[in-house]
Amino acid sequence: MVSILKEEIGGIELLRSMLLIRTFEEALLRQRDHGFQLLSSGEEAVAVGVCAALAPDDQLLVGGRSIGPALARGLDPGFVMAELLGKSAGPCRGKGGRGHLAQLSAGFFGAHAVVGGNIAIAAGVALAAQLQGRSALVACVFGDGACGSGVLHETLNLSALWKLPLVFICDNNQFAASTPRSEALAPLQLSDLARPFGIVGMTVDGMDVIAVRDAALAFANRARSGYGPSFLECVSHRFASHSTSTRETRGTDELAEIRKLCPIRRLAERLQSSGALSAAALGSLQSEVDEIVTQAVRFAAAAPYPDKSEALIDVV
Amino acid sequence: MLSEAAPPTVKLFFREAITRALREEMRRDARVILLGQDVGSYGGSYKEFVGLYQEFGPTRVRNTPVAEAAMIGLGVGAAAAGMRPLVSITYMDFLMLGLDPLVNYAAKARYKTGGQILAPVVVKTTAGAKGQGVAHSQCIEAWLMGVPGLKVVAPSTPADAYGMLKSALRESGPVVFIDHKRLFPTAGEVPVSEETVSIGKAIIRRRGRHVTIVTHSYMTRVAQEAADLVAAEGIACEIVDLRTLAPLDMATICDSLARTGALVTLEEGQLACGVGAEVAFRARERLGTLRVTRIGPLEAPVSSNPVLERACLPDAERVAHSIRRTLAA
Repeated sequence: MVSILKEEIGGIELLRSMLLIRTFEEALLRQRDHGFQLLSSGEEAVAVGVCAALAPDDQLLVGGRSIGPALARGLDPGFVMAELLGKSAGPCRGKGGRGHLAQLSAGFFGAHAVVGGNIAIAAGVALAAQLQGRSALVACVFGDGACGSGVLHETLNLSALWKLPLVFICDNNQFAASTPRSEALAPLQLSDLARPFGIVGMTVDGMDVIAVRDAALAFANRARSGYGPSFLECVSHRFASHSTSTRETRGTDELAEIRKLCPIRRLAERLQSSGALSAAALGSLQSEVDEIVTQAVRFAAAAPYPDKSEALIDVV
Repeated sequence: MLSEAAPPTVKLFFREAITRALREEMRRDARVILLGQDVGSYGGSYKEFVGLYQEFGPTRVRNTPVAEAAMIGLGVGAAAAGMRPLVSITYMDFLMLGLDPLVNYAAKARYKTGGQILAPVVVKTTAGAKGQGVAHSQCIEAWLMGVPGLKVVAPSTPADAYGMLKSALRESGPVVFIDHKRLFPTAGEVPVSEETVSIGKAIIRRRGRHVTIVTHSYMTRVAQEAADLVAAEGIACEIVDLRTLAPLDMATICDSLARTGALVTLEEGQLACGVGAEVAFRARERLGTLRVTRIGPLEAPVSSNPVLERACLPDAERVAHSIRRTLAA
């Protein structure tokens, strides 16, 4: 007998979105000239859970780990792949790459690869929405690495003071490049950082997409209702090293343990045990995603690199 | 060519010219907002925002905490999302605390997004020495001249402050607007009718055939004093007031140099990699051989001690001396 729990509604979509990110990144790594990438594998639940709480008019800003959030926000995988590979068919004409991937029309104000550098920008976007009388909100994803930066604290203060429609989302993957969070940040929980400013904060399991989505929905509703900012910490794990050119600091055994926490497998098992997802349905979901990624790679591979003259376009 | 009567003008202090430009732009464009310390009912550190809070209210004229990175970051983000903020950074020394959103985001937003995001923010800041010491006196405009995507203006007269601030608030990208502590109490004629002054155009303040002094901001006044000193000796100085530092108006500079053949650059900021170095090198690239002298402060911090401040900064006597030496060489 099928007995889907209320919180599992939409679960298949969440699963599809996470599968897409994982499959996309695996395909990206198979590209010979994939360049310098920061992968979202392992952290899919944060990106997908947050995006499930956003409306089309909302805007999402993220740090340099942008692939998961961009795909979760619904950007066309072919365009994203083109941008990552430096092709002019990308939404930034291949100029932004992963570090600065953006597509405004899709509600993805985009990535900014300076750690913490997107936080005050996001507050400015939220200020504009407030001044323009729109009900849209802004979500800003940053890593635990950004939590030591002064601008986060400056922005928490101003956004609380001005009741900005802003959800601060810390994707705490517990490392800033190689430095463990425990060596860099004093607070017990990073969501505690918001409390002195009177900002509501919460820490959730970032490997549980439904927990992330439900918390993000609650905070998004607060922002939409004019109650101002909130701070959601999602404790996650990255499956790969900081970037494709960074040495891995964790041992094989530790990585194997971390991989057991896979958010995709976790949701799939949950949906299967409640009867919402059959093995066959999971298989066809994977095939569907595989086909999307194959098409994306094909599109990006066929797209041209920008002409050299593009170097001087859109400078001033 | 028909000769036209000069348009009517009104005498305004420099700070009043800034207020007027902002008031007019805030009236014509609801997207213009003002962020900064002491910009509210206090009316600005140099009274350059007097009356704006009363007219436009706390939604558009917003006091901020002392948090330059967030102030500029919020301004840039709001600009990127369709507003036209002016962020006031009281002293240019503090601009260093907010350079990241200005240089890494605003100046590159258009390029890095393939034209999707424009960031028309104006960062207004006050440079120059007037008794406030080593971290409240600096002129670091040259640091900003090498940032593609960033425009930098530094007017020397109330008319230019008025017209260029209006232009800055209508730009499609970020502009740093630099005024000067010693310029606020100066007065000048400003057009009665609403007018703008184009960004990117230098102006010849004084005609002369022997030497071209290229300068900007408060040092334009020092150049005038020096030109008066050497005029008695028969030396006719031409003074080019750059007004815009990025992009540089090399056409006006080189046009003057083609006539005088001698260049003296004068600035209050440090000479190393400074405005004068850039102007002189570009002029030599275009014109070949040229007699060049750079004048700037001593290679030292600017003290609040009045004796040491005076010792550090260029003055009319030093400029006059350099002009004589350049022409004697």
